[in-house]
Amino acid sequence: MLRRAAPYAIAIAGVIVVTIAIGLVSTRFPVPGLSAFYLLLVLWLGATWGRGPAVAGGVAAFLLYDYFFVPPVGTFAVRGQTELLELVVLLAVALVTGQLAGSLRRTQSAAEALAADERAMYELATAALRSPEVTVALGLLSERAVRLQGVSRFALVAMDFGSAVHLAGGDVNVDEARQATWSYENKRPIGVAIADGAVKLMKTRPESKEPAYLPLASGVAVITIDPGASDPGDLRMLAALVGLADLLLDRRRAVLEAERARGFEASDRLKAAILSSLSHELKSPIASLRAGLTALMAPQAGLQPEQRELLGDLDGQASRLDRLVGDMLALSRLEAGMELEREPHRFADLVGTALHQLRPVLKGREVTLEIADDLAPVEVDELQVGRVLTNLIENANEWAPADGRITVGASTNEERLTAWVENDGPAIVPADLDRVFETFWSRRTRGSGLGLAISKRVVEAHGGTIRAENRRRGPRFTFTLPLARIAATR
Amino acid sequence: MSGRVLVVDDEVEMQRALRTGLRYHDFEVRAVGTGEEALRESAAWRPDVILLDLGLPGMDGFATLRALRPATRAAVIVVSVMPGEKDKVRALDAGADDYVVKPFGTDELVARIRAVLRRQADLSAGEPVIRAGDLEIDLARRSVTAGGRAVRLTPTEYELLRYLALHAGKPVTHTTLLRQVWGEYAVGDKYNTRYVVAQVRKKLGDDPANPRYIVNEPGVGYRLQA
Repeated sequence: MLRRAAPYAIAIAGVIVVTIAIGLVSTRFPVPGLSAFYLLLVLWLGATWGRGPAVAGGVAAFLLYDYFFVPPVGTFAVRGQTELLELVVLLAVALVTGQLAGSLRRTQSAAEALAADERAMYELATAALRSPEVTVALGLLSERAVRLQGVSRFALVAMDFGSAVHLAGGDVNVDEARQATWSYENKRPIGVAIADGAVKLMKTRPESKEPAYLPLASGVAVITIDPGASDPGDLRMLAALVGLADLLLDRRRAVLEAERARGFEASDRLKAAILSSLSHELKSPIASLRAGLTALMAPQAGLQPEQRELLGDLDGQASRLDRLVGDMLALSRLEAGMELEREPHRFADLVGTALHQLRPVLKGREVTLEIADDLAPVEVDELQVGRVLTNLIENANEWAPADGRITVGASTNEERLTAWVENDGPAIVPADLDRVFETFWSRRTRGSGLGLAISKRVVEAHGGTIRAENRRRGPRFTFTLPLARIAATR
Repeated sequence: MSGRVLVVDDEVEMQRALRTGLRYHDFEVRAVGTGEEALRESAAWRPDVILLDLGLPGMDGFATLRALRPATRAAVIVVSVMPGEKDKVRALDAGADDYVVKPFGTDELVARIRAVLRRQADLSAGEPVIRAGDLEIDLARRSVTAGGRAVRLTPTEYELLRYLALHAGKPVTHTTLLRQVWGEYAVGDKYNTRYVVAQVRKKLGDDPANPRYIVNEPGVGYRLQA
């Protein structure tokens, strides 16, 4: 109270001093317009103390000047028009200059406060960006926030892949963490909001010290504010701190996501390494078996025909085991999400390669091709699609009767190539048409049950579909492949 | 004796099986278990063919291949369990003559060994005319006949066929073909080779679904059947 009255006392005292000074001067040198001295005082009051003291000083000056210097001296009455005008001008000028000086001072002090805020923010932001651990930076920020008037807590909770993790500032209990999660998921602040660059308290329960929640891009700020004690400037500063916390939490999330991606990559590499070592371990003994068995089958080994036949059977079994192991490894590679090496290919070439590889299996059986010469190229992984074709053709070869026909065909539209492999063997039981693609399901007793499952996965990895159906002639497998995006222009 | 074969494989059972099997087919065989021994044996014994397993302990198959290549004139057949296509390409580009995937039968291996030996003999004979089945390529006159019928090829098509013919029976990688036929700038554009091979096949009257001359080596390149 005393502090607020002091400027007014100084204003009154100042006016008295100026009045005495004018009195002394005017007795020696009768100069008109000495009242201008008051204006200097009012100006000074306005600039230093603001509008109130300036106006008070102006009014006091008006009264004292009127009383002591305006005839009739010794009264507040005014006689002449000139004197009246002088008084009115004095009052008006005092009021206007007081007002102007006061608002100038307000602007200046606001600018100073803003500069102080900015300096503090700058220092905090640099410190935060310098510290390698985002949590340390968030701790600094939180410490700065609770030094603001009326802010008793400033806690930061990160939302890491759906779960709340307390990072900095005062403790957050389970209920508060749940509230924070709700606020984050619904993108709805509770208790406070940010408007016009400042934290605004919502009007619910003004006296409560309940925590407020502000959802950010990658977390939530949990703030406890005493509504009575808060200061507008500090609430602006608080909003700036929330903004900085938002940036830091975002940075932390980017780092976490990068680490997670690296983790996945490492686990993919590990899977690939395990699969490749597994294939080596499983296939090496089979390799020695086949090399040894086939070595003894040479006539030079001097074995009897029935002994050679037995070796041939054993070698056949070893080959079967080899194929089974190969299919299982191929399937696990596909399930591990192996990357495809997609390149433009002519579909006829892929079929040709498959047929060339299957020559020993087909044993001279003709395969009819219905593939136009000018089909647009497909964009596929050559080896994987080769697997699909060999599986389907081999399958057809097993089911087609001895004099039966196998047909491989393809056609394209604007978007994709549709290919089919057909034979005139017995129809597939309708209930099995979908099941044929299941892992380990086989129509044959000796099949691995993996060929069609692998084919389905390969086709789907290319974004295509595969299905089995019974045509009039026999079963047909149809699948689609993507066309090359840039068709060859030569 | 039809030739000396050096087997480089760290599995004793494999060594023994190959030694037995190849001897029945009249090859002289020695077997070693490491890359270092392979280098020593190749210098001392001078084999005609080296069967090199890529999965060696210590100095691995690729390092052994790179060390062997300048030091020996032997044909190198790379042997591997489930090699990725990249491994095949890498081995061929590092100077291997062919590759065989484990497990294999002895007959298949013997056929491959005979093929590389025959090719070496043909190359040293320096014949001006290359024959592959009924395909004839006259290098001096730059003319090609298939089944006695003259075939007109564009310069690019001829270069591609010539290069494949010079390495008949051997798989030639896309990269090698692009570099040899088009030049360094074309390396990487595999659709180039696919397109020209399709043209050459058409002119030779070769059925892509049942090729007699140019065989696709999936993921690797092409092979002209010898």
